[in-house]
Amino acid sequence: MSAYSLASISFVLFTLAAAGFLTSGNLVRMLMFLELMLNAANVALVALGPQPASQAYTVMLFAVAAAEAGIGLALIITLSCAFKTLEPENIKELKG
Amino acid sequence: MIQAAVWFFGAVAAMATLLMIFQRNLVKSALLMLAALLATAALYLALSAQMLAVLQIILYAGAIMILFVVALTVMPCALRDRASRSVFLKVLGLAAAAVILTELLNVSGALKGFLRPVDFSETGTLPLARELFGRFAFQFELLSLVIITAIVAATALALHRRRA
Repeated sequence: MSAYSLASISFVLFTLAAAGFLTSGNLVRMLMFLELMLNAANVALVALGPQPASQAYTVMLFAVAAAEAGIGLALIITLSCAFKTLEPENIKELKG
Repeated sequence: MIQAAVWFFGAVAAMATLLMIFQRNLVKSALLMLAALLATAALYLALSAQMLAVLQIILYAGAIMILFVVALTVMPCALRDRASRSVFLKVLGLAAAAVILTELLNVSGALKGFLRPVDFSETGTLPLARELFGRFAFQFELLSLVIITAIVAATALALHRRRA
């Protein structure tokens, strides 16, 4: 299988997730699409990288994704309590 | 056979992500995301990365999805998702995504000559462990700092919310 085909699968996944991120108007949904973008990057790494090393990098990226989801959701819950909304257009001030 | 599996699971993941874009219900979106993550795990399996497929199911499809579902239950406003963005902004977002895809495919045109064997082979956990605890030991240990920082930050945010 050509490396270009494998790369194009991950690029399509990344672009669909990026399209969702750019068009959604909800913070939780945006975080979900961000996770899927990172997931697509992981697929590219596994498909195209040198085998044991790229898998080791992907294991590390799994942990980064988990940390990102934890902090992101904690921030979103705090924002939703403060502003009573999850639409980024309605959150206009960041004074603590 | 393996090649067909790679295309099939890639298409399933792409379809689930596409359906997520048009799904307004957040719980159904989360289920579609779960389908995309499971299809990616199958893709890892087809690419002979068995350990990653297992970790993908445990970490992404298990832990992270549970985190999302719990967050949805504690935020009632999350379930009231309105199509608030203007059509112009949505078209702009889709155009930006199309530009990203075109550029990525253009840049990776140099890969057309390279072949990547996709025959099913057993990639043991031993070589992976040798990499993680040998060459990448420092980076792997630094990762624990990232996770500790994330736990402390999430706890601090939760305490701040309780005080407020």
